[in-house]
Amino acid sequence: MWDKLKDILLQVQKPARYVGGEYNLPDMDKPCKERVLLCFSDKYEVGMSNIGTRILYHMLNDMQDIVCERCYAPDLDMAQLLRKNALPLFSIETKRDAKSFDLIGFSVQFELQFTNIVYMLDLMGIPYYASERGDEYPPIVAGGPCVVNPMPFAPFFDAVLIGEGEKNLKELTLLHIECKERGLSKQEFLLRASKLDGVYVPSLNNPTKRAVVKDLDSAYYPTKILVPNCDIVHDRSSIELFRGCANGCRFCQAGFYYRPIRERSVDTLVRQACELMDSTGYDELGLLSLSTSDYSGLKELVDRIKVEADKRKIKVALPSLRLDSFEAEIYEEIQGASLTFAPEAGTQRLRDVINKNINEENILSSLTAAMKYGVKNVKLYFIMGLPTETQEDLQGIVDIVHLIKSLHAQYGTSKLLNITVSTSIFIPKPLTPFQWERQISMQEMLDKQAFMREKLRLKNVKYSWHGAESSIIEAVLARGDKSLAKTIVKAYELGCVFDSWSENFDYGKWLDAFELSGVDYQKFLDGFDEDEELPWDIIDNGVTKTYLLKERHKAYEGKCTPNCLKKCNGCGANRLERCRI
Amino acid sequence: MIILKHFKVDDVSYVSHKDILRVLQRGLKRANVDVKYSQGYVPHMLTYTTTPVPLGVQSVAEYFAVECNGVDKDEMLVRYNASMPTGMRAVASFYRDKNPNLAAIVTASDYEAVCAKVLPKEIESIAECQSYIISTSKKGEVVQKDVAPLIYGLRVENNKLFMRLASGNANLRADSVVNHLNEKFGIDIKINDICRKAQLVGEKGNFIDVEELLK
Repeated sequence: MWDKLKDILLQVQKPARYVGGEYNLPDMDKPCKERVLLCFSDKYEVGMSNIGTRILYHMLNDMQDIVCERCYAPDLDMAQLLRKNALPLFSIETKRDAKSFDLIGFSVQFELQFTNIVYMLDLMGIPYYASERGDEYPPIVAGGPCVVNPMPFAPFFDAVLIGEGEKNLKELTLLHIECKERGLSKQEFLLRASKLDGVYVPSLNNPTKRAVVKDLDSAYYPTKILVPNCDIVHDRSSIELFRGCANGCRFCQAGFYYRPIRERSVDTLVRQACELMDSTGYDELGLLSLSTSDYSGLKELVDRIKVEADKRKIKVALPSLRLDSFEAEIYEEIQGASLTFAPEAGTQRLRDVINKNINEENILSSLTAAMKYGVKNVKLYFIMGLPTETQEDLQGIVDIVHLIKSLHAQYGTSKLLNITVSTSIFIPKPLTPFQWERQISMQEMLDKQAFMREKLRLKNVKYSWHGAESSIIEAVLARGDKSLAKTIVKAYELGCVFDSWSENFDYGKWLDAFELSGVDYQKFLDGFDEDEELPWDIIDNGVTKTYLLKERHKAYEGKCTPNCLKKCNGCGANRLERCRI
Repeated sequence: MIILKHFKVDDVSYVSHKDILRVLQRGLKRANVDVKYSQGYVPHMLTYTTTPVPLGVQSVAEYFAVECNGVDKDEMLVRYNASMPTGMRAVASFYRDKNPNLAAIVTASDYEAVCAKVLPKEIESIAECQSYIISTSKKGEVVQKDVAPLIYGLRVENNKLFMRLASGNANLRADSVVNHLNEKFGIDIKINDICRKAQLVGEKGNFIDVEELLK
């Protein structure tokens, strides 16, 4: 295999993506009972930036008897050459044929990566549907955030891991070793797997409760991580402050999915940060969570980490700062001359509907402080097409931009202020209070974007927006059922791959795929009735349907729900594990 | 200033020079070496390399110079080797008060290429030509280039080809030569089976290995 690959590697762009050899590579030659292939359905530079797969990769390699290797979706030039040379998709570490592994896991991060699952299976020479794969093929499982509703891609997998891989992937791998040693068939293994926490077996359609790590502070977290030899998207080391989110923004799937909230202690985080800084050589350390400023010990953590980072000439990056908890002091120390805010909606009324618990006063005081500290760039993120949105709400976005400009004129200490406004299209995702809402139509999306383009034609203001066509497909794939599997296959056969890369996305081919597979996609864009069974109802993600419904009704009444740090709102995630804030 | 002679073999031979520079600098951070930084607006590590080998070509004679404090050359070798990906191992280290500016003084490199089959002896005659035109790639375009003044020697021993080619300011890429030979003689030397064995200073007939110079 390696000899043949030598010829190919110099004909493709960025061959370093395919050869591995990174620093901190685990021992691939240790005696093992199980070889696991962890696949990521996007390119190396995206996959290597994903913290979840990094955790699982190192966790498995740190276990006795298990060796885990990686495989990323090869770029189109590489795929063409693999086919031309009749070579199968291979693992990066030992260049083994993917089929030869004992267990294959896919991380599914984003709806527009679904065709890449089929693309990779095709390159591996593996039949797409689990029902067409006998015992000669290893069990193929999926995990990642898209398992909130696994139905559209479930038919491709023998099992779908719902929840946190530190728990269910570990247990599944150990179970597979045991079943293999006892000579059990794949079907017998899957039957046993379905009894584990957070393992959904599509062929058994077993009701599944999400698996969660009980104590995040003592949970596995790698501090000797792979350091890539080539450029990747997020090229830094990161510590994970906490999992879950206390804010309850009603449009946000991650905010509900990752509950219950569990924090790591400051001591643990400082230790992990120091080990990471020393073992990676990265220039930057990221503090990750869904809402970093809600971390209870943020001030102490930043103070202690800054001392260690300064010693090593390392920069500390703080993403995900919420507008309401924006602390000028932290900003002054860390953020430099650029500021990112996500008010999400243009008016207070709509911010109340979506439960974005910030008000005009917060925005005003935070921005005034930022201007005084000499901010030069402000990035603003908004969502368009939210439930109950009116023209007035869109105008509100424009008004915020004008407000920032006037604040800069009044208080700004920098000469120039650049404002970047980005809008995305709201998609009513499963496991949110808005899961029953309809997706706005293509025409509505285009009209809203045209309005913003016109109104934001201002000096030093840049406006960017998310594609309407890809939002439609993302919505269908997020909200659909098992019938979509054949559409995904058809779309792939028509040439759809790397759909999340705008240059590759082809709306026309997707429409053809729906037609050829006989799927009426409009039904997934229309709203669902509140008493209707939803495609993902068999999965218990923690937060109850009753709570989501209650939140939906509060949204329509314009009532806010307080942050969980203030009081428990009884979302139901506590059934999985107690919130530890 | 400490200068390291190191390998760039196996997987990392497919890593571009630009990326290798970052790998080297991250390695120094991991090695906890107190590297000196430039005094400019965006300070950068004061590190220096010689002309890189083409992508895919291996090397056992890369040189990497670094201005640093608080570490001697022997300690540096140990720390470097503990901090680099496999495929990048230092084999010698040297100390100089001043930057020897290897990139400017290196004039040639020795390469060894291995083929699966025995190679034709006629290859050697190319080195005797007064003029020899080959197609090479320059910024994505194919150009014709007279490489005779840049070839200092070609020798064939069974399935091995030894090449001494111009390197540095006047440079001849080993992969261009091998691609030409593959086409002209119907042989199949893989680019990854070429390895730079030494870098040299001086001129034709009087070359000295950089390693000897630094000793």
